[in-house]
Amino acid sequence: MATTTARAAPAAGGLTLDRRYALLGVLLIAPTVLVFCAVIVYPLVSALYLSLFSIYTPTLQGGFVGLDNYAALLAGGTFWPALANTLIWTAGTLSLQIVFGIALALLLNENILFRSLARSLILFPYFVSTVVAVLVWRWLFNDLYGLANHLLMLGGIIDMPVDWLGRMPNAMLSVIVIGAWKYFPFVVIAVLARLQTIPEQLYEAATIDGAGPVGRFFDVTLPQLREVLAVVILLRAIWDFKEFDLIYLLTGGGPLNHTRTLPLAVYQEAFGLNRMGMASATAVLMMLVMLVFMLAYLRRAARAGAK
Amino acid sequence: MTRRPAATIAINLVTWAIVLAVAMPLLWMVVTSLKPQSELFRIPPTLIPSTVTFEHYWRVLTETPFLLYFRNSMILSVTTTAVVVVIGTLGAYSLVRFTYPGRETLAGLVLFTYLLPSVVLIIPLYLLMVSLGLANTIASLVIAYTTFALPYALWLLRSFMAGIPEDLESAALVDGASRIGAFVDIILPQALPGIISTALFTFILSWNEYLYALVLVNSDSVRPLTTGVMNMLIASFNIEWSLLMAASVMMSIPLIVIFAFLQSYLTSGFGAGGVKG
Repeated sequence: MATTTARAAPAAGGLTLDRRYALLGVLLIAPTVLVFCAVIVYPLVSALYLSLFSIYTPTLQGGFVGLDNYAALLAGGTFWPALANTLIWTAGTLSLQIVFGIALALLLNENILFRSLARSLILFPYFVSTVVAVLVWRWLFNDLYGLANHLLMLGGIIDMPVDWLGRMPNAMLSVIVIGAWKYFPFVVIAVLARLQTIPEQLYEAATIDGAGPVGRFFDVTLPQLREVLAVVILLRAIWDFKEFDLIYLLTGGGPLNHTRTLPLAVYQEAFGLNRMGMASATAVLMMLVMLVFMLAYLRRAARAGAK
Repeated sequence: MTRRPAATIAINLVTWAIVLAVAMPLLWMVVTSLKPQSELFRIPPTLIPSTVTFEHYWRVLTETPFLLYFRNSMILSVTTTAVVVVIGTLGAYSLVRFTYPGRETLAGLVLFTYLLPSVVLIIPLYLLMVSLGLANTIASLVIAYTTFALPYALWLLRSFMAGIPEDLESAALVDGASRIGAFVDIILPQALPGIISTALFTFILSWNEYLYALVLVNSDSVRPLTTGVMNMLIASFNIEWSLLMAASVMMSIPLIVIFAFLQSYLTSGFGAGGVKG
C-alpha cells in the first residue's frame, strides 16, 4: 500500500503543507495511540512485570520472586499437560474446520436452490454468542433427554446413552466437534469468496486436457486457494489456540483437567488458586508459543501489503 | 459448467442436508423453547412441538433479571461501538492517508494486538480497574472491550478506506477544500458502508463477550447477558432447559435482526478483516 499523500500540494508551499498534513495525521491518530497505551501496552508490560512476583489475589499482597514462577511452571505438572491439551484441541478443531469448510464452500459454489438462505444458515453459528452455543449443545448432549443420544440410539450407532462431556476421550472430542461447528463458517465464507474469482477458463483448459472432477480440484482449485488457505489457517490457529469461552463453559477444563487448555490454566491460576504471579507467568509462556503463529501471520500481512 | 440433471439434484440434496445439520442445534433451541414442560421430557422427543406455548418466554421476562441484563448488554455494546468507531475512523484515516514517522510500526502494532489473547491482558486490567475504583461498573467493561474491539475496528476500517480512490480526495483539495472538509465530504460518505460493517462487527463482538464480563463484574445490576444467562444455568437447582432456551433465543434477537436486514455488511466485513490472501 504505497500511499503518496499531499500530491496536490502546490509546489511553493509544499514543505509547510506537508508538515501541516503530518501534524494533522498525528493529531488524528493520537486518541488511538492513547487508548492503545492505556489498555494494551501498559497491561502487556504489566503482565511481564507481574510474572516475576508472587501475588495473592484477594489481598493483592506479595513479593518479588524473580524467575521462580517460570521455573516452577516448566518443572511442574500443570503447564506441559495444558500445552498438550491446547495443541490437541487446536490441531483437532482446526483440521475439521478446514476440511468441512472447503467441502461446503465447494458445494455452495454450485448452483444451489436458495443459495443465499443456505449461506445465512451456515453463517449463524459463527456469529451466535458462545454462551448460546454452549447452552444449546449442553442440552443436545444431555445424557437422559438429549437429542444427540436419542438420534444415535435410533440409528443403532450406540446402545446406551453416552456421557459426552464428563468422560475422556468423549469430552475432548465433543469440544473439538463443537468448536468446529462454531468456527468453520469462517473458512466457508473466506474460501467461497476466493472460489468465485477463479477464472472459468482454467477449468475448461483442464477439462480439455482430460482432467476429471477430482483432477480439476487438485490441479486448478487447490493451487488457486493456496494463498487464502494459508491466511485462514494461520488466523484460525491463533484464534483456536487462545479460545477460552467455549471450553471453559462446556467442560470447565474437566474431567480431571483433561480439557484444561492454557487460557483456562491462566484463568484458574489467577481466580481459582489466587496466584496472580503464577497466572501471569503462564500467560507470558502461552504468548511465547503463540508468537510463532503471530509472527508468521504478520510477515504474510506485511508482504501482502507491500504488493 | 453444465451438469446432468441427476448430478444437480444430488448436489442440491447433499448441500441442503449438510446445511440443515449445521443449523439443527439452533432450530432445536427454538423448538425446545416453545414446548410445554410436560412435552420436554417425552421419549422419543417430538421434533415439532404438539402444543406451542410462550409461557417460558413470559417467565424469563417476569421471573428472572433477564431484562436488566439485556439493558446492561445494550448500553455496554452501544457505548463500546460508538467509542471504537469514532476513534477507529479517525485513526484509520490517519494510517491510510497521512505520512509521518512511525506510521508503519503503528500499523504493525495494530495487527499484533488484533491477535493478542485476552487472558494475557485480563490480570493487569483487573488490577487497573480495582485501583481506579472502576471494578464492577459498565465503564470498566467498555474500557476492557476496547482492547479487542479497537484493533479489530482499525484493521477493518483501514482496509475499507484504502479502497477509496485517492483522486477523489485530491480533486476536492484542488478545489480548495481543507483536509478536514475533504474528510467529511468525500471520505466519510465513501467509507460509510465500511463504517456500518465495522460497527456491526464491534457490536456483535461486545454483545457476545464473556471472559471480561466474568472477571470484572460480579453484581446483577451491571451484569451483561452472557454471564447473566450463564448464571441462570449454574444457580438453578434443577436445570429448566426450556427456560434457558427461551433466554438464548431472546439473547440472539439483535443478531437475528442484523442477519435479516444487514447481512451484506457482515459478508463485506469478512473480506476486509485480513482474510484477503
